[in-house]
Amino acid sequence: MRRILVIDDEKPTLSMFSLYLEAYGFEPLTAETGERGLEIFREHHPSIVLTDIKMPGMGGLAVLKQIKEESPDTEVIVITGHGDIDLALKALNLNATDFIDKPIRQEALESALRRAEERLATLRNKDEEIAVREVGGVAAIDIRGNLTSRSEPYLLKAYKEASGPQGTRPLLLHFEQSASINGAGIAVLTQLLLESDKLGQPVAISGPSENFTKVFEIVGITKFVDIFETEEAAVAMLQGKARGLTTEGAP
Amino acid sequence: MKPFRHVSLKIKIFLSTLGVVLLISVTIAMLARWILVSSLTRELELRGVAIAQSIAEGGSGYVLDQDTPNLVSLIFDAAQLGERKILISYIYIVDMDGNVLANTFIKPFPRDLLSVNILPPDKDQAVTLIQVDGEQAYDIAVPIKEGIYTLGSVHVGLNKNHIDNLVGKLRFTFLGFISAIVVIIFLIALRLSNYITQPVTRLTRISDEISRGNLDFPMALLDAQGREPRDCPAYNNTDLPCWHFDQNLMAESEATAENVRTCKECVFYKKRKGDEVDQLADSFNNMIWSIKLYRRRLRESEEKYRSLFDSNPDPVFVVDLKKKRILDANPRAEEVYGYTKPELLGRPIADLEPPDGMTGVCRFLNMPQAGECILFPKVRHIKKGGVPFFVNLHACRTHYRGKEAVIFSTTDITDMVEKDAQLIQASKMKTLGEMSAGIAHELNQPLNAIKMGSDFLSLMVGQKRDIPKEHLGRVVGEISVQVDRAATIINHLREFGRKSDLKKEKVDINIPIRGVFTIIGQQLALQNIDVTLDLCDSLPQIHAHSNRLEQVFFNLVTNARDAVNMRQNTAENGSGPREISIRSWLENDRVAVTVSDTGCGITPQDLQKIFEPFFTTKTMGHGMGLGLSISYGIVKDYGGDIEVGSEPGEGTTFKLTFPLTDN
Repeated sequence: MRRILVIDDEKPTLSMFSLYLEAYGFEPLTAETGERGLEIFREHHPSIVLTDIKMPGMGGLAVLKQIKEESPDTEVIVITGHGDIDLALKALNLNATDFIDKPIRQEALESALRRAEERLATLRNKDEEIAVREVGGVAAIDIRGNLTSRSEPYLLKAYKEASGPQGTRPLLLHFEQSASINGAGIAVLTQLLLESDKLGQPVAISGPSENFTKVFEIVGITKFVDIFETEEAAVAMLQGKARGLTTEGAP
Repeated sequence: MKPFRHVSLKIKIFLSTLGVVLLISVTIAMLARWILVSSLTRELELRGVAIAQSIAEGGSGYVLDQDTPNLVSLIFDAAQLGERKILISYIYIVDMDGNVLANTFIKPFPRDLLSVNILPPDKDQAVTLIQVDGEQAYDIAVPIKEGIYTLGSVHVGLNKNHIDNLVGKLRFTFLGFISAIVVIIFLIALRLSNYITQPVTRLTRISDEISRGNLDFPMALLDAQGREPRDCPAYNNTDLPCWHFDQNLMAESEATAENVRTCKECVFYKKRKGDEVDQLADSFNNMIWSIKLYRRRLRESEEKYRSLFDSNPDPVFVVDLKKKRILDANPRAEEVYGYTKPELLGRPIADLEPPDGMTGVCRFLNMPQAGECILFPKVRHIKKGGVPFFVNLHACRTHYRGKEAVIFSTTDITDMVEKDAQLIQASKMKTLGEMSAGIAHELNQPLNAIKMGSDFLSLMVGQKRDIPKEHLGRVVGEISVQVDRAATIINHLREFGRKSDLKKEKVDINIPIRGVFTIIGQQLALQNIDVTLDLCDSLPQIHAHSNRLEQVFFNLVTNARDAVNMRQNTAENGSGPREISIRSWLENDRVAVTVSDTGCGITPQDLQKIFEPFFTTKTMGHGMGLGLSISYGIVKDYGGDIEVGSEPGEGTTFKLTFPLTDN
């Protein structure tokens, strides 16, 4: 049974969390304050930590920072107030693996937990995280696990390979279910996408979770890259664009 | 003198003068008569004696010689000499034997004469009133002597008629003289009494006229010539007393204490040279002049103040202190309160005020040691027909027509109060907006717990798993508790947003203080601000609106929070105590509350302005600068006070005090 530590200053929330996680087959640990949470973390080393951001005393961000310092591989999911995307970004910059809104919806929690599980499963194998393949004349980069500063060289390599010698091949960035991206990852991605935009390389993104779609909107990626829910829609769009390019290119 | 009290002075003077003169005259007449008549008779008797003695001297020889013819001629000569003819009625001589030796009777000698006046031997004369031939006469007998022998006697008869004639003439003359004097005195007395009493009568008439209020009439009677009162500069200048005018003309050095109340040279106050009656008339004249002047001034003053009373834009009432009834009211009072003047006069003051008697005239009347004047702000008054409205009431103790009274004026401030209420309401809405972050957080907590609980249930149901009884109870119980929690917050918000009645209620001040923390307590905790509540549980209630007080405390607490955060941002190390403490206690019969923080503090120059509307130190878009000014208005509204003490960099303390409710 996997241990999950939940840190929240709200007792009723903690109580419900315990029941919920138990029902999911986890072994929940609870803490009412950030300090207490860290103590429990050091004692039991849970692989997943859920922490509220707004707490009296030690806040969720401080907890996150501390845990990431002590154990960078721990999956830390922060709980933010509804619509509090600024805090979510702050958390992502601190290498939080995901965030969920309060009030916590079942699906959001489930998918966050599932992604965390998957990430934990693929944790040690960076090569597998980023893979390049071809779908109907379009180069696709699959992103699994956590896209962070550590994944930067892999991503750059894959990007170059997929873009071709001129760097203008239509490109699809496909986020797997388990994929998450932190602040540094977003910065790298934005950099690459900006360059593609300059070169006129058609790029599309497909499959990021709802949370990350929201984050991409906030940081402005959606302004020059279209995001699709499914791979097929994205590929269709890119093929259309590629045809347009070739007809334009042929005199 | 009682019987003469109703007799006029004129008659008194006249009669007494006349009486005295008559008395003196009669006395003089009686005396004169007695002296004159007796001395005249005596003188005539002496003349008769002298005549008789001269006959006795001359006739002694003839008696011795018995020479009758010579004796006769002697006595006739004596009797016929000059005017004696009239005086002497007869002369005769008798010898010692009683024989008549000679006589002047033309008719036979009346023999009985011899026996009526017999001269006694040792006397030289004898006088007796006798009757001769139906006429009265004084018979004077003188002896005829020759050596030591008496030869006989001479009798001379003096005509009493003649003497009486003389006396009568004398009396007539005298009486005539006395009468003339009486008549003259009568006329003089009449004149004198008229002279004395006429001015007095005139002054009496003038006094009567003055008493009837006719001050113009006497001037004609008093033959006051020359200037009229209205010529006096003080007549039209009522600002200064009349002596003041002359005083102003005087050099200051001359105005000493003695002459400060007198005119130096007044052309109106005159004292002519004359007798006392003239002076009395002058005094009277001056007095009337003075009365006229001061009456005019008084009337002018009365008119002035009456017009002030009548034209006052606010209702003014005069209320009897004892009966608590209206004695007088101005026209504006009729307009504002809707009663006519006859309806207002005599109306109990309680008709204009709500019966609670918490403030207003009734309270003022019941305050024994209240000062002379008092201002009650925002008092509820009632118009005719029971329509309530708000007034500022200013009441003063005074005397009115000999009664102890209260004069009070009211200003209709209903519009202002309503505007205030609107402003407060508007600012409350703004406060609600500021609260929204806190509210969202507060509401999110129970919603989150409910959501997770219900999701857990649906998960279990969806997977067709058995829910352990204990878990089910926990979830259901928690959901119920959290729904209540959310409902409490919503109710609290609704209560806060509710528009307050204009009427105040009794409030335990700790309730709004705690209310503030149900909404932002958690928020403060999340910002790591320690809140200390040191509330006295047995505080008496105050007169206020709970939700407005909550607004005040919300404002103070959020300001404190911002101050604490501000200090955190500016301080170099960013640390230090982050505390807000609220204390409530009873102090000198007032409920006191302090809101203290360990924030950035307020600079002394800002400290003076913090209650001013639109004053704010916050950046654009973070504060309207209305919170404290509205809080100030609200606190003042409840008779409260708000003070602030601050030390820049150390923190700020707001202290609020409120009066207790009466019971």
